[in-house]
Amino acid sequence: MNNRHPIAASLAVLGYIVMIVPLFFVVITAFTDGSTLKFPPSGFSLRWFEAAFKYQPFMTSLVSSLELAVLAALFSLLLGVPVALAISRGKIPGKGLLEGLFLSPLIVPELVVGLALYQQLMIGLGLNNFTTLLIGHTVLLFPYAVRVTGASLALMDPHIEEAARGLGASPLRTFFTVTFPLLRPGLFSAGLLSFVTSFNNVPLSLLLQNRDFRTLPVTMLDYVQQNYDPIVAAMSVLILLGTILIAVVAERTVGFAKIFGGIN
Amino acid sequence: MRGNRIVFLIVPGLIVLLGGFLIPAVVMLVSPPRTEFGDILARLGTMLTNSYDLAIIGRTVVLGLIVMIISVVIGFPIAYMLARSTSRWVGMLLALAIFPLLLSNVVRTFGWLVVLGKEGAIGQLLTSLHIVDEAPQLLYTPLAIVLGLLQLFLPLAIISCYSAVAQVNPALDEAARGLGANRTQTFWTVVVPLSWPGIVVACTLVFAGSVTAYTTPYLLGGSRQRMLSTQLYNYANGTIDWAAASATAIIMTVLVFGVSAISTLMGRKARTS
Repeated sequence: MNNRHPIAASLAVLGYIVMIVPLFFVVITAFTDGSTLKFPPSGFSLRWFEAAFKYQPFMTSLVSSLELAVLAALFSLLLGVPVALAISRGKIPGKGLLEGLFLSPLIVPELVVGLALYQQLMIGLGLNNFTTLLIGHTVLLFPYAVRVTGASLALMDPHIEEAARGLGASPLRTFFTVTFPLLRPGLFSAGLLSFVTSFNNVPLSLLLQNRDFRTLPVTMLDYVQQNYDPIVAAMSVLILLGTILIAVVAERTVGFAKIFGGIN
Repeated sequence: MRGNRIVFLIVPGLIVLLGGFLIPAVVMLVSPPRTEFGDILARLGTMLTNSYDLAIIGRTVVLGLIVMIISVVIGFPIAYMLARSTSRWVGMLLALAIFPLLLSNVVRTFGWLVVLGKEGAIGQLLTSLHIVDEAPQLLYTPLAIVLGLLQLFLPLAIISCYSAVAQVNPALDEAARGLGANRTQTFWTVVVPLSWPGIVVACTLVFAGSVTAYTTPYLLGGSRQRMLSTQLYNYANGTIDWAAASATAIIMTVLVFGVSAISTLMGRKARTS
């Protein structure tokens, strides 16, 4: 079974075809001059990109999605980092259970969480859909903030913090001058991962949409279901470009495979 | 930052976790608006006995298992090659396997509409080569769902297996070879058993992801190939049947927790044996 074993090699090629090739078709279709998703495309034009930029629902929901993703990533870090600190440095009984509780949004199906928040917070408590979405996404991103920060804290030598305290620094000063700088790469990784996860989310956001505030993936999903034109292909290419940009930023900073694959 | 006061840092996060997730989820599952828990149990009973609902549950589980098996059968060899190869392309191929994880599911799934649609690439190819007269129905079939889910979850399977294979010391492969095992024997008796925990993780993630995915069954399966997720959305947003929505949510959650429990047990067994 070395690199050239025929069965393994064919399976690998098949795997890459399934993962990547449909994306090429999206890109090709986006540049068509025709008005359907017909393949091969008829002629070359940029008209569907122009159409995507002019289509108000896509542009409005793009801004909404960016807003939601940035805020949710920020809140999950603001709330999640103290949680990770308390769990790793404090004297709490049942640490394992508490940590498990904060990681549990990873296990419960997102569609189920979405249904619960729609029914209990939006209908039950009358919260508006943006607030509900923000709470839902923040909770969904807790696992990243808590786990990534927890891992950085576990690797850190607690004696450094004790030394700062011994030299007379207050707990807050110790955090901002010693702990925080050491946590920075971990926080950046968690933030980027959180942003991407929130921006792309469909199942949790699905039931929490209304006319006032809609996210881009759900708007695109609705559009695809009702129309059969290449405007979604053009929008997809724009998202693809944005995603490549994030991958490049990740690679230039902490490392692409490290942030998104957990591989060193 | 030692001592007991630091414990209170957990409070704001805990409040949001309880109020924005745990309490609403539990209340939704046992006591939705204008619905008694008895109604949900009754609905659960009907769902587990009538053929219409059983077909949806069965389809969800079977497609989940198929996707899980194919993901590991394809993902493990890819992970093995990436972990062991010294080619200069390895970094690029690894990045290519991880990249889809960052990309919107809507974008990834949309690609299959272009490939499998009535006027899509495969249909056009088959008709222009006169292999068939009319493009075959590929969309809204179980095959379309399996392809879409595979595209979604192969990266997860590859990464889980990669982490496991990368931890197996290559010297063990060489030792097995030195003792006279051929490549295939080494693969099956050394590499696969030592990477078993990673394979279990891959199976769990792919199965749990497949039975709860929404975008893929919605776009590629439509109303012809209903799955639990699309059915749940329909109960919550179309017919507004809270009892049925909660019952469906319970089935989905039990499926995911069940597979997590099985994988924890298997992981524990692998460590002790």
